[in-house]
Amino acid sequence: MDEIDTSANTPVAKSAAEPAISSVKIARSFSLPGAVFCVAGGCLPSQLYFGSSEFGVYRVDSDAEKPEPTAVSDSKHSSYVTGLVRIGDALISGSYDGSLIWWDASTGDVRHRVNSAHDKWIRQIAISPDGSTVASVGDDMKTRVWNAETADSIAAWDGYELMTPHGYPSMLYAVAFSPDGKWLATGNRTGKVLIRNAATGGVEATLETPVMYTWDPKARRHSIGGIRSLSFSSDSQLLAVGGMGVVVNIDHLGGASRIEVFNWQSGEKKFEIEDTKFKGLVEQLQFGPDDKWLVAAGGDNGGFVSVYEGAAGTLLAQEKTPMHVFDFQLSADGSTLRAVGFEQASVVDIA
Amino acid sequence: MTRRICAVLTSFVVLFHSAGFASENKLLPADTLIQDAIDHYLQMGIAKNGISAVTHASDETILRRTTLDLAGRIPTRPEQEWYKQRLPDERREQLVDRLLSLPDAAYHQANEIDSHLLSNSPYNGEFREYLLWATKEKRSWDQMFRDMLLAKPEEGPLQGATQFLRTRIREVDDLTNDTAILFLGINVSCAKCHDHPLVDDWKQDHFYGMQAFFSRTYQTKKNVVAEKFFDEVKFKTTEGEDKLASFMFLTGDVVPDATPEFSDEARKELEEKIRKAEREDDSEAPVPDFSPRMQLVDIALRDDHNAFFAKNIVNRVWARMLGTGLVTPLDQMHSGNPPSHPELLAWLARDLKQNGYDLNRLIRGVALCEAYAGDSEWTSAAEPPQDQYFAVARTRPLTHRQLALSLQVASTSPVNWPAAEASDEWTQKRESLENRANGWARDFEQPKEDFQIAVDEALFFSNNARVYDDVLRDSGDRLIGHLKAFEDDAQLVAALWEAVLSRIPDEEERNAAVAWLQRENEDRVEKIRQLSWTLLAGPEFRFNH
Amino acid sequence: MSDPAEVEHRRQALRDLSRRGFLTTTAAGATAIAADMGHINALQSEAVTKQLKQNDTRVILLWLAGGASQFETWDPKPGAKTGGPFRAIPTNANGVHISELLPQLAKRMQHTAVIRSLNTRIADHGGGASLMETGRVRDPGLDFPDLGAVVARELGRLDSQVPDYVSLYTSTEGRRKGTSGVLGSRYAPMFLSDNMIPLNLAQLDAVSSVDHEDRAALRDVFARKFSKNRSSAAVDSHMSAYQRVRGLMASEQLFNVENEPAEVRARYGPTQFGEQCLIARRLVEAGVPFVKVARAWWDSHGQNFETHQELCADLDHTMSVLLDDLSERGLLENTLIITLGEFGRTPRINASLGRDHFANAWSCSLSGHGIRGGSVYGKTDPEGNTVVDGEASAADLFATVLQALGIDHEHEYMVGARPIPMADFGSSPINDVLA
Repeated sequence: MDEIDTSANTPVAKSAAEPAISSVKIARSFSLPGAVFCVAGGCLPSQLYFGSSEFGVYRVDSDAEKPEPTAVSDSKHSSYVTGLVRIGDALISGSYDGSLIWWDASTGDVRHRVNSAHDKWIRQIAISPDGSTVASVGDDMKTRVWNAETADSIAAWDGYELMTPHGYPSMLYAVAFSPDGKWLATGNRTGKVLIRNAATGGVEATLETPVMYTWDPKARRHSIGGIRSLSFSSDSQLLAVGGMGVVVNIDHLGGASRIEVFNWQSGEKKFEIEDTKFKGLVEQLQFGPDDKWLVAAGGDNGGFVSVYEGAAGTLLAQEKTPMHVFDFQLSADGSTLRAVGFEQASVVDIA
Repeated sequence: MTRRICAVLTSFVVLFHSAGFASENKLLPADTLIQDAIDHYLQMGIAKNGISAVTHASDETILRRTTLDLAGRIPTRPEQEWYKQRLPDERREQLVDRLLSLPDAAYHQANEIDSHLLSNSPYNGEFREYLLWATKEKRSWDQMFRDMLLAKPEEGPLQGATQFLRTRIREVDDLTNDTAILFLGINVSCAKCHDHPLVDDWKQDHFYGMQAFFSRTYQTKKNVVAEKFFDEVKFKTTEGEDKLASFMFLTGDVVPDATPEFSDEARKELEEKIRKAEREDDSEAPVPDFSPRMQLVDIALRDDHNAFFAKNIVNRVWARMLGTGLVTPLDQMHSGNPPSHPELLAWLARDLKQNGYDLNRLIRGVALCEAYAGDSEWTSAAEPPQDQYFAVARTRPLTHRQLALSLQVASTSPVNWPAAEASDEWTQKRESLENRANGWARDFEQPKEDFQIAVDEALFFSNNARVYDDVLRDSGDRLIGHLKAFEDDAQLVAALWEAVLSRIPDEEERNAAVAWLQRENEDRVEKIRQLSWTLLAGPEFRFNH
Repeated sequence: MSDPAEVEHRRQALRDLSRRGFLTTTAAGATAIAADMGHINALQSEAVTKQLKQNDTRVILLWLAGGASQFETWDPKPGAKTGGPFRAIPTNANGVHISELLPQLAKRMQHTAVIRSLNTRIADHGGGASLMETGRVRDPGLDFPDLGAVVARELGRLDSQVPDYVSLYTSTEGRRKGTSGVLGSRYAPMFLSDNMIPLNLAQLDAVSSVDHEDRAALRDVFARKFSKNRSSAAVDSHMSAYQRVRGLMASEQLFNVENEPAEVRARYGPTQFGEQCLIARRLVEAGVPFVKVARAWWDSHGQNFETHQELCADLDHTMSVLLDDLSERGLLENTLIITLGEFGRTPRINASLGRDHFANAWSCSLSGHGIRGGSVYGKTDPEGNTVVDGEASAADLFATVLQALGIDHEHEYMVGARPIPMADFGSSPINDVLA
């Protein structure tokens, strides 16, 4: 294994052996309407479905000469669409309106609608690796599990405080299944991660990432930050947690983008990354093939895609994106990342 | 744009047409002593209105009053002794000359000018350094005006003179208004968007005319005050017509625009240089031949007819020392608001100008006039005469700095004071007194016209730990330590009164104070402390009377 | 020199003082102070509260420093491109909808009028704050007092034993102190920035209560002797400043929320804003004419929606409790509550999901005294970019507030030789929101 230096964020020269990543390049970018919060892959790699601040679910071909998004359906949510997954010909979306909708991806028919899936905003949804269940998290601080086929509620788990320690409403932003399907991780505003048994809901481990949450006790008396992204390694042993470091002026997303990687079962923090070159929230994270690297994207007013070495977090390559990135799809071989965000999408080559 | 109507503006019309307040050739001869001229003109007003003559204040009061006005602090014990030993007929003049010869006079004058010119950004170290240098050097007022308005990049203490403009440089309205108010005694701000039907254009012409002198002023990255080569002030009249402002002084006199013609190319090049100077540390600002600010200084000093520049400072020094301006409010020098004594103001302005704008000379004259020595008590059953007759001395709040310095003097053991003199040693003493006082002055409000004392100050004196732990500290070098050595209560009380109020107590006061000290069940030092507090927190200490 | 009656008065004062000095032990002094406190506490009794109701009006200004978003408060545009993710909810006022972030206030709209058509143009913090604090554009050479100082002067009592104007400004940008301008420091706010209790209000431990009181009495004896024949506004202000000291010290207890029953404190909740609003209620109840509670930090250039989720929850809860509490005590009909900031926020949502400064079409609210509850004045276009009906300036808002308080907004202060009306030239009150 390479020598670990968690502080160094300068790209290392590519050695003859691993890791193989030395460049992140924006291949193309195109406009999308509104703030695009979530993206799901279609049958073809270039086909993307996304949900946005326009309340609907849309499809777009990212390889088209002039990508033109079209609505999947005439129906819409009644607020921002913030979570989207695909299983076969079905799309499942979650929204700030608290509802989950199962769509027929080709006809746009609504197959199921759960109107009060959560009492507050739905922040993210995730699908289990076998495609049988969907998990959703929302600001009612519940983690809910649904039958991906029938939309039946399977479970609803608490475990988070409704309010922050400072007396304000808390938020539950992120959810992810482990690749082996056994575990479900969730992360909230104040930096608390719960890893549960995905079948029973039993809490297997609790991690704290307090730096992700900035509370300004003196000048401003409110907070910013929170855990925005979670990703397990392919062996399900490591858990990467994404957010933002300490912020001085909390009117802006002015903190370093931040990742903490845990050996979650032991609770040991393997490494952490604070990247001050690209500030803001790490909105999405994913381990690449064989966990050799980890790709993160997010931003402040602008945005970034950064690739770090998987075992120690050394920066391998990064690139500024034309927009704050809210979500991405990574191709199976790890070579193409399709990012969506504020009024834009980018196709990013990772090599 | 919000519509504004300024009632006072009507009076401006008259001002610039009938201009002067008094015809110069009818004034007393120029070689009259200042104090005699003042007495002459004030007496005319008093006699004409049947007001009884001025009663003199006590010697102790005159000593305290004059020391506060000329040195910015209460007198020390050696100064009280010195004064007592002078011959009664010569005391006042000797006192005034002695005070003006002390380093204290320069410090006080610097403090006063600082409050006057930079009240919006107080405790500006650079500006203070300049002022102290200038007052120590006895720099004339017109020269100081030049220093501040030309604001040339200079090394040394002159550098601080640029602060007058630099602290206002972001806002051309502030540059315009504050220069007019503070140096010329005229507030033109209400002429900015005024809509009086008769004199509309004329007034806006003046406001924007004054603004034109400043519109090219900018600050470089290196904090140098510079001027651009071209800029035009345009404004919309209330009829909605766009108009170009000329370089018009308050009198209506116009400075011809001598901005040279530039080719487009030269213009671009200059603009680029200026942009660089504004943004880059190592860029020098190009210097234009035609400087509107220099024109303003020249025209202001040339204006013999209205003499706004001279009259303004005379009026302000007068108000400082006598509590009410000859023109009041101080920024309303126009004929709709005539001076109480037009000839006196004109005479003093002429005298100041003819004697090289020497402010100390003016201050000396005012300090020696009869009205300055008047009693501030009015004991008659009749209504007191109005302020404008100067028949009764005004009771004036100390400035924040006078109060802080006087607190330092009063709370020091009286025997610790050497005799003040024009020496380096005393200069150092004063310097450290200033430094200590500065920390306190920040807790007090800078007085403005019609100042009222806030409850915050009473709470500060009543409950702040520093008052108890510092001013009332029980140690040998402090007032309390000095007082507690007295065995005789009456003597102690007398010493306290002298140290704080610069006088001896009367019988009633002495009895009350002795009774206080003889209360049972208490720590004697504590009783002395609280008794001292009753004077330090009292109005007699708080005011110059 | 002095008249005999005056001398006798002073002698008597000294005799009283000595008698107390000679007779007292600490107990007597303590009783005297307790009596002072009693005076303040008496203001909370029902009889006094009733009297207050008849005579006095009060203002609590909830200053939303940094600029709250009108979309996420009083002028929601659900479904519009600019509307953001929140819904509008119906209120108990017929046809009036506000943001779902204010559910409790929605149930109390009978107290509140909303103005949705402010166009104040100035969208930088300093200029905007100055404009909304004084109701006029900053004019060099004219140091105009802010609303608190005007109200303190117009509604405060000269002999008041409580502060006239208290500004709680513990957490916000700029720490704007407020200005009494030409009205002088008599009407300057008692300003709290770091502590919940004003500076120099508490007696030093080193000074005994007896000494503190007795020395004040002796000071007064000497002071009267000095000022008797030296009448001036400045000397009088010194006298009255010291006369107010003991009363104000007694009002220290007003700042101590520990004096409130646990259930009342629990009701206001644990946030600092909650505590400060409870203090504000205690202050107006005791007769303080103007209390400003500043709540930061609405300047949501990034994460506007999350910021408003936090801050609106605070505002919704605290203001609702404040309305209920005042109403239950019979004080709401005499207390005007204003929510206002320096400006609103842009219709456009930026890449950080923030909203930026915007002063062309925004909202504020007025509740309680003098207000026609449940009314909405003015209208913005469907995306909230412009005012389409009932455009109101800062000066109009001031005229409205003054009118609600029964103060003639055209009344003029003389500033030097300039007569300046309390609400700027050309303004007029918005009668639609006035009771």
